[in-house]
Amino acid sequence: MLQQLLVNGLIAGGIYALVALGFSVIYRTVKFFHFAHGAVYAAGAYFGYTLAIQLKLHFVLAFLLAMVFAALVGILIDRIVYRPLRKKNASNLILLLASFGIFVFVQNLIQLIYGAQILSLRTGPVKEGYHIFSAVITPTQILILTVSVLLMFLLWAFIKKTKLGKAMRAVSDDAVAASVVGINPEKTIMASFALGSAWAGAAGVLIALETNLEPTMGFAAILKGIIASIIGGIGSIPGAMFGGFFLGIAENLGIAWISSGWKDAIAFAILIVFLLIRPQGIIGVKNKEETV
Amino acid sequence: MEYILHILVICGIYSILTLSLNLIVGYTGLVSIGHAAFFCIGAYISALLSLNLGMSPWIGLILAGCGAGVLGLVIGTPSLRLKGDYLALATVGAGIIVYQIVKNWVSVTRGPMGLPGIPSFSVFGYILDATWSYLILVISITAISVFVIRRLVIGSYGRVLKSIREDETASQMLGKNTVGYKLQVFVVGAFFAGIAGSLYAHYITFIDPSSFTLLESVTILLMVILGGMASIRGSLVGAVVLVIFPELLRFLGMPSSVAAPVRQMIYGLLLVILMMKRPQGLFGKFRFT
Repeated sequence: MLQQLLVNGLIAGGIYALVALGFSVIYRTVKFFHFAHGAVYAAGAYFGYTLAIQLKLHFVLAFLLAMVFAALVGILIDRIVYRPLRKKNASNLILLLASFGIFVFVQNLIQLIYGAQILSLRTGPVKEGYHIFSAVITPTQILILTVSVLLMFLLWAFIKKTKLGKAMRAVSDDAVAASVVGINPEKTIMASFALGSAWAGAAGVLIALETNLEPTMGFAAILKGIIASIIGGIGSIPGAMFGGFFLGIAENLGIAWISSGWKDAIAFAILIVFLLIRPQGIIGVKNKEETV
Repeated sequence: MEYILHILVICGIYSILTLSLNLIVGYTGLVSIGHAAFFCIGAYISALLSLNLGMSPWIGLILAGCGAGVLGLVIGTPSLRLKGDYLALATVGAGIIVYQIVKNWVSVTRGPMGLPGIPSFSVFGYILDATWSYLILVISITAISVFVIRRLVIGSYGRVLKSIREDETASQMLGKNTVGYKLQVFVVGAFFAGIAGSLYAHYITFIDPSSFTLLESVTILLMVILGGMASIRGSLVGAVVLVIFPELLRFLGMPSSVAAPVRQMIYGLLLVILMMKRPQGLFGKFRFT
Protein backbone atom coordinates (compact mmCIF):
# COMPACT_ATOMS: atom_id res chain seq x y z
CA MET A 1 0.00 0.00 0.00
CA LEU A 2 2.70 2.44 1.03
CA GLN A 3 4.81 1.51 -1.97
CA GLN A 4 1.86 1.99 -4.31
CA LEU A 5 1.25 5.44 -2.86
CA LEU A 6 4.90 6.31 -3.33
CA VAL A 7 4.76 5.23 -6.97
CA ASN A 8 1.60 7.30 -7.56
CA GLY A 9 3.23 10.19 -5.79
CA LEU A 10 6.30 9.96 -7.98
CA ILE A 11 4.25 10.06 -11.18
CA ALA A 12 2.11 12.97 -10.04
CA GLY A 13 5.28 14.60 -8.74
CA GLY A 14 6.98 14.28 -12.11
CA ILE A 15 4.17 16.23 -13.76
CA TYR A 16 4.07 18.83 -11.00
CA ALA A 17 7.83 19.20 -11.26
CA LEU A 18 7.59 19.82 -15.02
CA VAL A 19 4.92 22.49 -14.57
CA ALA A 20 6.85 24.02 -11.67
CA LEU A 21 10.01 24.01 -13.72
CA GLY A 22 8.40 25.88 -16.61
CA PHE A 23 6.81 28.28 -14.15
CA SER A 24 10.15 28.87 -12.40
CA VAL A 25 12.01 29.52 -15.65
CA ILE A 26 9.49 32.26 -16.41
CA TYR A 27 9.32 33.54 -12.83
CA ARG A 28 13.10 33.95 -12.70
CA THR A 29 13.09 36.54 -15.45
CA VAL A 30 9.78 38.34 -14.88
CA LYS A 31 9.34 37.95 -11.08
CA PHE A 32 5.57 37.63 -10.94
CA PHE A 33 3.12 34.75 -10.71
CA HIS A 34 2.33 33.80 -14.30
CA PHE A 35 -0.96 32.12 -13.46
CA ALA A 36 -1.89 31.72 -17.13
CA HIS A 37 0.86 29.10 -17.28
CA GLY A 38 -1.88 26.63 -16.33
CA ALA A 39 -3.89 27.63 -19.39
CA VAL A 40 -0.81 27.14 -21.59
CA TYR A 41 -0.48 23.64 -20.14
CA ALA A 42 -4.11 22.86 -20.98
CA ALA A 43 -3.75 24.39 -24.45
CA GLY A 44 -0.71 22.18 -25.10
CA ALA A 45 -2.58 19.08 -24.00
CA TYR A 46 -5.60 19.84 -26.21
CA PHE A 47 -3.42 20.65 -29.19
CA GLY A 48 -1.68 17.31 -28.66
CA TYR A 49 -5.11 15.67 -28.66
CA THR A 50 -6.02 17.32 -31.97
CA LEU A 51 -2.79 16.13 -33.56
CA ALA A 52 -2.61 12.62 -32.12
CA ILE A 53 -6.28 11.61 -32.09
CA GLN A 54 -8.09 13.84 -34.57
CA LEU A 55 -5.31 14.04 -37.19
CA LYS A 56 -3.82 10.65 -36.27
CA LEU A 57 -0.20 11.83 -36.28
CA HIS A 58 2.49 9.71 -34.69
CA PHE A 59 2.56 10.31 -30.95
CA VAL A 60 6.16 11.52 -30.76
CA LEU A 61 5.55 14.03 -33.53
CA ALA A 62 2.33 15.21 -31.89
CA PHE A 63 4.15 15.55 -28.57
CA LEU A 64 6.90 17.71 -30.08
CA LEU A 65 4.47 19.87 -32.06
CA ALA A 66 2.37 20.39 -28.95
CA MET A 67 5.47 21.69 -27.18
CA VAL A 68 6.11 24.11 -30.05
CA PHE A 69 2.48 25.21 -29.99
CA ALA A 70 2.58 25.81 -26.23
CA ALA A 71 5.76 27.85 -26.67
CA LEU A 72 4.00 30.02 -29.24
CA VAL A 73 1.02 30.54 -26.93
CA GLY A 74 3.41 31.57 -24.16
CA ILE A 75 5.24 34.06 -26.37
CA LEU A 76 1.94 35.47 -27.61
CA ILE A 77 0.66 36.03 -24.07
CA ASP A 78 3.88 37.79 -23.16
CA ARG A 79 3.85 39.96 -26.27
CA ILE A 80 0.21 41.01 -26.14
CA VAL A 81 -0.30 41.49 -22.42
CA TYR A 82 2.80 41.37 -20.27
CA ARG A 83 5.19 43.38 -22.39
CA PRO A 84 2.98 46.51 -22.56
CA LEU A 85 2.42 46.22 -18.81
CA ARG A 86 6.16 45.89 -18.18
CA LYS A 87 6.75 49.02 -20.23
CA LYS A 88 4.40 50.85 -17.87
CA ASN A 89 6.21 49.44 -14.82
CA ALA A 90 3.03 47.76 -13.63
CA SER A 91 3.14 46.17 -10.19
CA ASN A 92 3.22 42.43 -9.58
CA LEU A 93 -0.38 42.55 -8.49
CA ILE A 94 -1.55 44.07 -11.77
CA LEU A 95 0.42 41.46 -13.67
CA LEU A 96 -1.02 38.70 -11.49
CA LEU A 97 -4.59 39.90 -12.03
CA ALA A 98 -4.03 40.26 -15.78
CA SER A 99 -2.65 36.74 -15.70
CA PHE A 100 -5.85 35.53 -14.03
CA GLY A 101 -7.81 37.22 -16.81
CA ILE A 102 -5.78 35.45 -19.48
CA PHE A 103 -6.21 32.17 -17.65
CA VAL A 104 -10.00 32.50 -17.54
CA PHE A 105 -10.06 33.57 -21.19
CA VAL A 106 -7.96 30.69 -22.54
CA GLN A 107 -9.65 28.06 -20.40
CA ASN A 108 -13.05 29.06 -21.71
CA LEU A 109 -11.78 29.35 -25.26
CA ILE A 110 -10.73 25.70 -24.98
CA GLN A 111 -14.16 24.82 -23.62
CA LEU A 112 -15.80 26.67 -26.49
CA ILE A 113 -13.73 24.80 -29.09
CA TYR A 114 -13.65 21.31 -27.63
CA GLY A 115 -16.73 21.33 -25.42
CA ALA A 116 -16.89 20.63 -21.70
CA GLN A 117 -16.90 16.85 -22.03
CA ILE A 118 -13.94 14.73 -21.00
CA LEU A 119 -11.60 13.60 -23.80
CA SER A 120 -8.80 11.08 -23.69
CA LEU A 121 -5.44 10.67 -25.36
CA ARG A 122 -5.34 6.98 -24.54
CA THR A 123 -5.46 4.61 -27.48
CA GLY A 124 -6.29 0.97 -26.99
CA PRO A 125 -6.92 -0.79 -23.70
CA VAL A 126 -4.89 -0.07 -20.59
CA LYS A 127 -1.93 -2.45 -20.49
CA GLU A 128 -1.30 -4.54 -17.44
CA GLY A 129 1.26 -3.04 -15.12
CA TYR A 130 4.54 -4.46 -13.86
CA HIS A 131 4.79 -5.51 -10.26
CA ILE A 132 7.64 -3.95 -8.37
CA PHE A 133 7.60 -5.16 -4.79
CA SER A 134 3.96 -4.67 -3.89
CA ALA A 135 3.35 -1.72 -6.22
CA VAL A 136 1.94 -1.81 -9.74
CA ILE A 137 3.29 0.53 -12.39
CA THR A 138 1.96 0.61 -15.96
CA PRO A 139 4.15 1.10 -19.06
CA THR A 140 2.48 4.48 -19.62
CA GLN A 141 3.45 5.59 -16.14
CA ILE A 142 7.04 4.51 -16.74
CA LEU A 143 7.00 6.51 -19.98
CA ILE A 144 5.64 9.60 -18.18
CA LEU A 145 8.23 9.39 -15.46
CA THR A 146 11.14 8.78 -17.85
CA VAL A 147 10.18 11.58 -20.24
CA SER A 148 9.58 14.06 -17.46
CA VAL A 149 12.91 13.33 -15.77
CA LEU A 150 14.63 13.57 -19.16
CA LEU A 151 12.99 16.93 -19.85
CA MET A 152 13.98 18.24 -16.44
CA PHE A 153 17.62 17.43 -17.08
CA LEU A 154 17.47 18.92 -20.56
CA LEU A 155 16.15 22.19 -19.19
CA TRP A 156 18.63 22.22 -16.34
CA ALA A 157 21.51 21.58 -18.77
CA PHE A 158 20.20 24.27 -21.10
CA ILE A 159 20.19 26.88 -18.36
CA LYS A 160 23.55 25.82 -16.97
CA LYS A 161 25.48 25.28 -20.20
CA THR A 162 24.23 27.42 -23.08
CA LYS A 163 24.79 31.09 -23.71
CA LEU A 164 21.06 31.84 -23.73
CA GLY A 165 20.71 30.01 -20.43
CA LYS A 166 23.47 32.13 -19.01
CA ALA A 167 21.71 35.28 -20.25
CA MET A 168 18.54 34.08 -18.51
CA ARG A 169 20.39 33.67 -15.26
CA ALA A 170 21.92 37.11 -15.69
CA VAL A 171 18.53 38.78 -16.26
CA SER A 172 17.15 36.92 -13.30
CA ASP A 173 19.91 38.19 -11.01
CA ASP A 174 19.88 41.80 -12.18
CA ALA A 175 18.05 42.90 -15.32
CA VAL A 176 19.64 46.35 -15.44
CA ALA A 177 23.19 45.08 -15.03
CA ALA A 178 22.49 42.42 -17.65
CA SER A 179 21.39 45.03 -20.17
CA VAL A 180 24.52 47.04 -19.43
CA VAL A 181 26.71 44.16 -20.55
CA GLY A 182 24.70 43.83 -23.76
CA ILE A 183 22.08 41.22 -22.94
CA ASN A 184 18.72 42.16 -24.40
CA PRO A 185 16.28 41.60 -21.51
CA GLU A 186 13.19 41.49 -23.74
CA LYS A 187 14.69 38.78 -25.92
CA THR A 188 15.72 36.82 -22.88
CA ILE A 189 12.25 37.12 -21.36
CA MET A 190 10.78 35.91 -24.65
CA ALA A 191 13.11 32.92 -24.63
CA SER A 192 12.14 32.08 -21.07
CA PHE A 193 8.45 32.23 -21.97
CA ALA A 194 9.07 29.97 -24.97
CA LEU A 195 11.04 27.46 -22.94
CA GLY A 196 8.82 27.47 -19.86
CA SER A 197 5.63 27.19 -21.93
CA ALA A 198 7.01 24.36 -24.08
CA TRP A 199 7.70 22.40 -20.90
CA ALA A 200 4.17 23.12 -19.68
CA GLY A 201 2.79 21.82 -22.98
CA ALA A 202 4.88 18.66 -22.60
CA ALA A 203 3.53 18.16 -19.09
CA GLY A 204 -0.02 18.61 -20.41
CA VAL A 205 0.35 15.96 -23.09
CA LEU A 206 2.04 13.54 -20.68
CA ILE A 207 -0.67 13.82 -18.05
CA ALA A 208 -3.29 13.35 -20.77
CA LEU A 209 -1.85 9.88 -21.39
CA GLU A 210 -2.62 8.88 -17.84
CA THR A 211 -5.78 10.81 -16.93
CA ASN A 212 -8.38 12.59 -19.04
CA LEU A 213 -8.48 15.97 -20.70
CA GLU A 214 -10.91 18.56 -19.47
CA PRO A 215 -10.90 22.33 -20.05
CA THR A 216 -10.41 23.04 -16.35
CA MET A 217 -7.31 20.82 -16.06
CA GLY A 218 -4.97 23.81 -16.10
CA PHE A 219 -6.23 25.15 -12.80
CA ALA A 220 -5.08 22.31 -10.57
CA ALA A 221 -1.85 22.10 -12.55
CA ILE A 222 -0.81 25.71 -12.07
CA LEU A 223 -1.77 25.65 -8.41
CA LYS A 224 0.42 22.61 -7.90
CA GLY A 225 3.14 24.17 -10.02
CA ILE A 226 3.18 27.38 -7.98
CA ILE A 227 2.98 25.50 -4.70
CA ALA A 228 5.81 23.16 -5.74
CA SER A 229 7.95 26.14 -6.75
CA ILE A 230 7.38 27.89 -3.44
CA ILE A 231 8.06 24.73 -1.45
CA GLY A 232 11.28 24.19 -3.33
CA GLY A 233 12.34 27.82 -3.22
CA ILE A 234 10.80 30.14 -5.79
CA GLY A 235 12.88 30.67 -8.92
CA SER A 236 15.22 27.81 -8.12
CA ILE A 237 15.43 25.11 -10.81
CA PRO A 238 16.49 22.21 -8.56
CA GLY A 239 14.02 23.57 -6.00
CA ALA A 240 11.14 23.29 -8.48
CA MET A 241 12.02 19.67 -9.27
CA PHE A 242 12.35 18.79 -5.62
CA GLY A 243 9.18 20.68 -4.70
CA GLY A 244 7.23 18.88 -7.42
CA PHE A 245 8.17 15.42 -6.21
CA PHE A 246 7.76 16.44 -2.58
CA LEU A 247 4.25 17.74 -3.24
CA GLY A 248 3.25 14.71 -5.34
CA ILE A 249 4.34 12.27 -2.66
CA ALA A 250 2.97 14.33 0.26
CA GLU A 251 -0.42 14.61 -1.46
CA ASN A 252 -0.64 10.90 -2.18
CA LEU A 253 0.40 9.94 1.34
CA GLY A 254 -2.10 12.50 2.61
CA ILE A 255 -5.03 10.96 0.77
CA ALA A 256 -4.15 7.57 2.27
CA TRP A 257 -5.63 8.65 5.57
CA ILE A 258 -8.00 11.36 4.39
CA SER A 259 -10.12 11.03 1.22
CA SER A 260 -8.92 11.90 -2.26
CA GLY A 261 -11.33 14.82 -2.50
CA TRP A 262 -9.03 16.77 -0.18
CA LYS A 263 -6.00 16.73 -2.48
CA ASP A 264 -6.01 20.47 -3.30
CA ALA A 265 -6.75 21.41 0.29
CA ILE A 266 -3.74 19.36 1.45
CA ALA A 267 -1.54 21.07 -1.14
CA PHE A 268 -2.67 24.50 0.01
CA ALA A 269 -2.29 23.66 3.66
CA ILE A 270 1.32 22.70 2.89
CA LEU A 271 1.73 25.99 1.01
CA ILE A 272 0.40 28.13 3.84
CA VAL A 273 2.64 26.36 6.35
CA PHE A 274 5.63 26.98 4.09
CA LEU A 275 4.76 30.62 3.44
CA LEU A 276 4.59 31.25 7.15
CA ILE A 277 7.54 29.35 8.49
CA ARG A 278 9.91 29.00 5.58
CA PRO A 279 8.90 31.44 2.81
CA GLN A 280 12.20 30.99 1.02
CA GLY A 281 11.44 27.30 0.48
CA ILE A 282 13.60 24.29 1.13
CA ILE A 283 16.37 25.24 -1.27
CA GLY A 284 16.16 28.98 -1.36
CA VAL A 285 17.92 32.06 -0.24
CA LYS A 286 16.05 34.22 2.19
CA ASN A 287 14.69 37.34 0.52
CA LYS A 288 12.67 39.33 2.99
CA GLU A 289 11.27 41.86 0.56
CA GLU A 290 9.36 39.34 -1.48
CA THR A 291 7.25 37.78 1.22
CA VAL A 292 7.13 39.33 4.63
CA MET B 1 -41.67 41.89 -14.73
CA GLU B 2 -40.97 39.02 -12.37
CA TYR B 3 -37.76 38.51 -14.31
CA ILE B 4 -36.64 42.12 -13.86
CA LEU B 5 -37.35 41.93 -10.13
CA HIS B 6 -35.29 38.74 -9.97
CA ILE B 7 -32.34 40.46 -11.66
CA LEU B 8 -32.63 43.33 -9.21
CA VAL B 9 -32.50 40.96 -6.23
CA ILE B 10 -29.33 39.38 -7.61
CA CYS B 11 -27.91 42.87 -8.25
CA GLY B 12 -28.53 43.76 -4.60
CA ILE B 13 -26.84 40.61 -3.29
CA TYR B 14 -23.80 41.15 -5.49
CA SER B 15 -23.68 44.82 -4.50
CA ILE B 16 -23.20 43.76 -0.88
CA LEU B 17 -20.47 41.33 -1.93
CA THR B 18 -18.70 43.90 -4.06
CA LEU B 19 -18.91 46.59 -1.37
CA SER B 20 -17.49 44.27 1.25
CA LEU B 21 -14.63 43.23 -1.01
CA ASN B 22 -13.94 46.83 -1.98
CA LEU B 23 -13.43 47.63 1.69
CA ILE B 24 -10.64 45.02 1.72
CA VAL B 25 -9.15 45.52 -1.75
CA GLY B 26 -9.91 49.11 -2.66
CA TYR B 27 -9.71 50.96 0.64
CA THR B 28 -7.08 48.91 2.42
CA GLY B 29 -5.16 47.60 -0.59
CA LEU B 30 -5.26 43.92 0.42
CA VAL B 31 -5.90 41.84 -2.68
CA SER B 32 -8.15 38.93 -1.85
CA ILE B 33 -9.11 36.35 -4.48
CA GLY B 34 -11.04 34.18 -2.09
CA HIS B 35 -14.07 36.26 -1.23
CA ALA B 36 -16.46 33.55 -2.41
CA ALA B 37 -15.39 31.54 0.66
CA PHE B 38 -17.18 33.98 2.98
CA PHE B 39 -20.20 34.13 0.68
CA CYS B 40 -20.23 30.33 0.75
CA ILE B 41 -19.94 29.96 4.53
CA GLY B 42 -22.69 32.51 5.07
CA ALA B 43 -25.01 30.68 2.68
CA TYR B 44 -24.33 27.28 4.23
CA ILE B 45 -24.58 28.39 7.87
CA SER B 46 -27.89 30.12 7.29
CA ALA B 47 -29.29 27.28 5.17
CA LEU B 48 -28.24 24.53 7.59
CA LEU B 49 -29.58 26.37 10.62
CA SER B 50 -33.00 26.83 9.09
CA LEU B 51 -33.15 23.33 7.55
CA ASN B 52 -31.83 21.30 10.48
CA LEU B 53 -32.78 23.35 13.52
CA GLY B 54 -35.76 25.18 12.07
CA MET B 55 -34.19 28.46 13.12
CA SER B 56 -35.65 31.69 11.78
CA PRO B 57 -33.71 33.03 8.76
CA TRP B 58 -33.34 36.32 10.63
CA ILE B 59 -31.20 34.67 13.27
CA GLY B 60 -29.52 32.72 10.47
CA LEU B 61 -28.69 35.98 8.71
CA ILE B 62 -26.89 37.36 11.76
CA LEU B 63 -25.15 34.07 12.53
CA ALA B 64 -24.12 33.74 8.87
CA GLY B 65 -22.42 37.12 9.10
CA CYS B 66 -20.76 36.22 12.41
CA GLY B 67 -19.67 32.80 11.12
CA ALA B 68 -18.13 34.37 8.05
CA GLY B 69 -16.48 36.95 10.28
CA VAL B 70 -14.94 34.19 12.40
CA LEU B 71 -13.74 32.50 9.22
CA GLY B 72 -12.25 35.84 8.17
CA LEU B 73 -10.36 35.90 11.46
CA VAL B 74 -9.16 32.32 10.96
CA ILE B 75 -8.02 32.99 7.39
CA GLY B 76 -6.78 36.49 8.02
CA THR B 77 -4.62 35.84 11.07
CA PRO B 78 -2.00 33.78 9.25
CA SER B 79 -2.35 35.14 5.72
CA LEU B 80 -2.37 38.87 6.49
CA ARG B 81 1.25 38.50 7.54
CA LEU B 82 1.95 38.07 3.82
CA LYS B 83 2.02 40.92 1.36
CA GLY B 84 1.01 41.69 -2.21
CA ASP B 85 0.88 38.74 -4.55
CA TYR B 86 1.71 36.25 -1.79
CA LEU B 87 -1.35 37.40 0.11
CA ALA B 88 -3.40 37.04 -3.09
CA LEU B 89 -2.13 33.49 -3.48
CA ALA B 90 -2.90 32.61 0.13
CA THR B 91 -6.48 33.86 -0.29
CA VAL B 92 -6.86 31.71 -3.41
CA GLY B 93 -5.77 28.82 -1.22
CA ALA B 94 -8.22 29.69 1.53
CA GLY B 95 -11.03 29.86 -1.02
CA ILE B 96 -10.18 26.42 -2.34
CA ILE B 97 -9.89 24.87 1.10
CA VAL B 98 -13.35 26.18 2.04
CA TYR B 99 -14.77 24.94 -1.28
CA GLN B 100 -13.32 21.48 -0.70
CA ILE B 101 -14.63 21.33 2.87
CA VAL B 102 -18.13 22.16 1.68
CA LYS B 103 -17.87 19.65 -1.15
CA ASN B 104 -16.39 16.77 0.86
CA TRP B 105 -18.09 17.07 4.22
CA VAL B 106 -21.07 15.19 2.83
CA SER B 107 -22.63 14.22 6.16
CA VAL B 108 -23.35 17.88 6.92
CA THR B 109 -23.45 19.75 3.62
CA ARG B 110 -24.65 16.88 1.37
CA GLY B 111 -21.63 17.71 -0.80
CA PRO B 112 -22.22 18.15 -4.54
CA MET B 113 -25.90 17.19 -4.14
CA GLY B 114 -26.50 20.55 -2.52
CA LEU B 115 -29.15 21.68 -0.05
CA PRO B 116 -32.65 22.05 -1.53
CA GLY B 117 -35.79 23.56 -0.03
CA ILE B 118 -34.30 26.36 2.04
CA PRO B 119 -37.21 28.36 3.53
CA SER B 120 -37.58 32.09 2.94
CA PHE B 121 -37.68 34.96 5.42
CA SER B 122 -40.93 35.85 7.10
CA VAL B 123 -42.10 39.11 8.63
CA PHE B 124 -44.84 38.83 11.31
CA GLY B 125 -45.95 35.53 9.84
CA TYR B 126 -45.97 36.86 6.30
CA ILE B 127 -43.56 34.79 4.20
CA LEU B 128 -41.43 36.75 1.75
CA ASP B 129 -41.76 34.33 -1.14
CA ALA B 130 -42.90 36.87 -3.72
CA THR B 131 -39.95 38.35 -5.57
CA TRP B 132 -40.99 41.95 -4.94
CA SER B 133 -41.16 41.46 -1.19
CA TYR B 134 -37.73 39.83 -1.18
CA LEU B 135 -36.45 42.72 -3.26
CA ILE B 136 -37.50 45.15 -0.53
CA LEU B 137 -35.59 43.08 2.04
CA VAL B 138 -32.46 42.93 -0.14
CA ILE B 139 -32.57 46.64 -0.92
CA SER B 140 -32.90 47.50 2.77
CA ILE B 141 -29.93 45.33 3.71
CA THR B 142 -27.90 46.71 0.81
CA ALA B 143 -28.70 50.22 2.03
CA ILE B 144 -27.59 49.30 5.56
CA SER B 145 -24.35 47.88 4.15
CA VAL B 146 -23.70 51.01 2.11
CA PHE B 147 -24.36 53.13 5.19
CA VAL B 148 -22.08 51.12 7.49
CA ILE B 149 -19.23 50.83 5.00
CA ARG B 150 -19.52 54.50 4.11
CA ARG B 151 -19.31 55.45 7.77
CA LEU B 152 -16.25 53.26 8.13
CA VAL B 153 -14.37 54.75 5.20
CA ILE B 154 -15.16 58.46 5.42
CA GLY B 155 -13.98 59.07 8.95
CA SER B 156 -10.61 58.84 10.62
CA TYR B 157 -10.89 55.05 10.51
CA GLY B 158 -11.00 55.20 6.73
CA ARG B 159 -7.98 57.48 6.66
CA VAL B 160 -5.99 54.91 8.61
CA LEU B 161 -7.03 52.24 6.11
CA LYS B 162 -5.92 54.38 3.19
CA SER B 163 -2.64 55.14 4.92
CA ILE B 164 -2.02 51.40 5.27
CA ARG B 165 -2.73 51.03 1.58
CA GLU B 166 -0.40 53.84 0.58
CA ASP B 167 2.46 53.16 2.97
CA GLU B 168 2.13 50.64 5.73
CA THR B 169 5.48 51.41 7.32
CA ALA B 170 4.63 55.10 7.56
CA SER B 171 1.36 54.43 9.37
CA GLN B 172 3.15 52.06 11.73
CA MET B 173 5.52 54.92 12.46
CA LEU B 174 2.52 57.01 13.46
CA GLY B 175 1.68 54.39 16.04
CA LYS B 176 -1.09 52.59 14.18
CA ASN B 177 -1.42 48.88 14.77
CA THR B 178 -1.65 48.11 11.07
CA VAL B 179 -1.95 44.35 11.52
CA GLY B 180 -4.92 44.90 13.81
CA TYR B 181 -6.60 47.26 11.33
CA LYS B 182 -6.06 44.88 8.44
CA LEU B 183 -7.55 42.03 10.42
CA GLN B 184 -10.57 44.16 11.42
CA VAL B 185 -11.20 45.12 7.82
CA PHE B 186 -10.91 41.52 6.72
CA VAL B 187 -13.42 40.42 9.37
CA VAL B 188 -15.89 43.22 8.56
CA GLY B 189 -15.63 42.42 4.84
CA ALA B 190 -16.19 38.74 5.58
CA PHE B 191 -19.18 39.57 7.80
CA PHE B 192 -20.99 41.39 4.99
CA ALA B 193 -20.13 38.67 2.50
CA GLY B 194 -21.67 36.17 4.92
CA ILE B 195 -24.84 38.30 5.09
CA ALA B 196 -24.95 38.29 1.29
CA GLY B 197 -24.55 34.50 1.37
CA SER B 198 -27.51 34.13 3.68
CA LEU B 199 -29.67 36.38 1.48
CA TYR B 200 -28.66 34.32 -1.55
CA ALA B 201 -29.43 30.97 0.09
CA HIS B 202 -32.90 31.95 1.28
CA TYR B 203 -33.73 33.53 -2.06
CA ILE B 204 -32.54 30.82 -4.47
CA THR B 205 -33.69 28.11 -1.96
CA PHE B 206 -31.03 25.71 -3.27
CA ILE B 207 -27.29 25.92 -2.79
CA ASP B 208 -24.47 23.63 -3.89
CA PRO B 209 -20.67 24.03 -3.87
CA SER B 210 -20.52 24.87 -7.59
CA SER B 211 -21.78 28.41 -6.90
CA PHE B 212 -18.73 29.21 -4.78
CA THR B 213 -15.70 28.40 -6.92
CA LEU B 214 -12.59 30.43 -7.60
CA LEU B 215 -14.30 31.81 -10.70
CA GLU B 216 -16.91 33.33 -8.41
CA SER B 217 -14.17 35.04 -6.39
CA VAL B 218 -12.61 36.35 -9.58
CA THR B 219 -16.00 37.65 -10.74
CA ILE B 220 -16.57 39.54 -7.48
CA LEU B 221 -13.07 41.00 -7.72
CA LEU B 222 -13.77 41.97 -11.32
CA MET B 223 -16.91 43.82 -10.17
CA VAL B 224 -14.80 45.75 -7.65
CA ILE B 225 -12.13 46.63 -10.18
CA LEU B 226 -14.54 47.49 -12.99
CA GLY B 227 -16.65 49.77 -10.79
CA GLY B 228 -13.64 51.35 -9.21
CA MET B 229 -11.21 50.80 -6.40
CA ALA B 230 -12.16 52.60 -3.19
CA SER B 231 -15.47 53.86 -4.57
CA ILE B 232 -18.86 52.97 -3.14
CA ARG B 233 -20.70 54.22 -6.19
CA GLY B 234 -18.28 52.20 -8.30
CA SER B 235 -19.02 49.00 -6.40
CA LEU B 236 -22.74 49.35 -6.99
CA VAL B 237 -22.23 50.09 -10.68
CA GLY B 238 -19.71 47.25 -11.10
CA ALA B 239 -22.05 44.73 -9.51
CA VAL B 240 -25.09 45.84 -11.49
CA VAL B 241 -23.25 45.91 -14.83
CA LEU B 242 -21.76 42.45 -14.42
CA VAL B 243 -25.02 40.93 -13.21
CA ILE B 244 -27.04 42.35 -16.09
CA PHE B 245 -24.46 41.70 -18.77
CA PRO B 246 -24.72 37.86 -18.85
CA GLU B 247 -28.49 38.22 -19.07
CA LEU B 248 -28.07 40.24 -22.26
CA LEU B 249 -26.11 37.35 -23.74
CA ARG B 250 -29.10 35.17 -23.05
CA PHE B 251 -31.26 37.46 -25.18
CA LEU B 252 -28.85 36.98 -28.08
CA GLY B 253 -30.23 33.46 -28.20
CA MET B 254 -26.99 31.59 -27.61
CA PRO B 255 -27.34 28.00 -26.43
CA SER B 256 -26.11 27.68 -22.85
CA SER B 257 -23.16 25.46 -23.88
CA VAL B 258 -21.87 28.44 -25.86
CA ALA B 259 -23.10 31.27 -23.64
CA ALA B 260 -21.32 30.05 -20.48
CA PRO B 261 -17.79 29.96 -21.92
CA VAL B 262 -18.39 33.14 -23.95
CA ARG B 263 -19.43 34.97 -20.80
CA GLN B 264 -16.33 33.81 -18.94
CA MET B 265 -14.14 34.70 -21.91
CA ILE B 266 -15.49 38.23 -21.86
CA TYR B 267 -14.87 38.42 -18.10
CA GLY B 268 -11.29 37.30 -18.61
CA LEU B 269 -10.75 39.73 -21.44
CA LEU B 270 -12.34 42.54 -19.43
CA LEU B 271 -9.98 41.89 -16.53
CA VAL B 272 -6.97 41.98 -18.87
CA ILE B 273 -8.11 45.17 -20.58
CA LEU B 274 -8.85 46.89 -17.27
CA MET B 275 -5.41 45.98 -15.98
CA MET B 276 -3.81 47.32 -19.12
CA LYS B 277 -5.83 50.47 -19.66
CA ARG B 278 -7.54 51.49 -16.45
CA PRO B 279 -6.43 49.57 -13.35
CA GLN B 280 -8.33 51.91 -11.03
CA GLY B 281 -11.69 51.09 -12.68
CA LEU B 282 -14.50 53.40 -13.78
CA PHE B 283 -14.95 55.50 -10.64
CA GLY B 284 -11.77 54.47 -8.92
CA LYS B 285 -9.68 56.72 -6.77
CA PHE B 286 -6.81 54.34 -6.31
CA ARG B 287 -4.66 52.11 -8.44
CA PHE B 288 -2.01 49.58 -7.51
CA THR B 289 1.30 51.08 -8.30
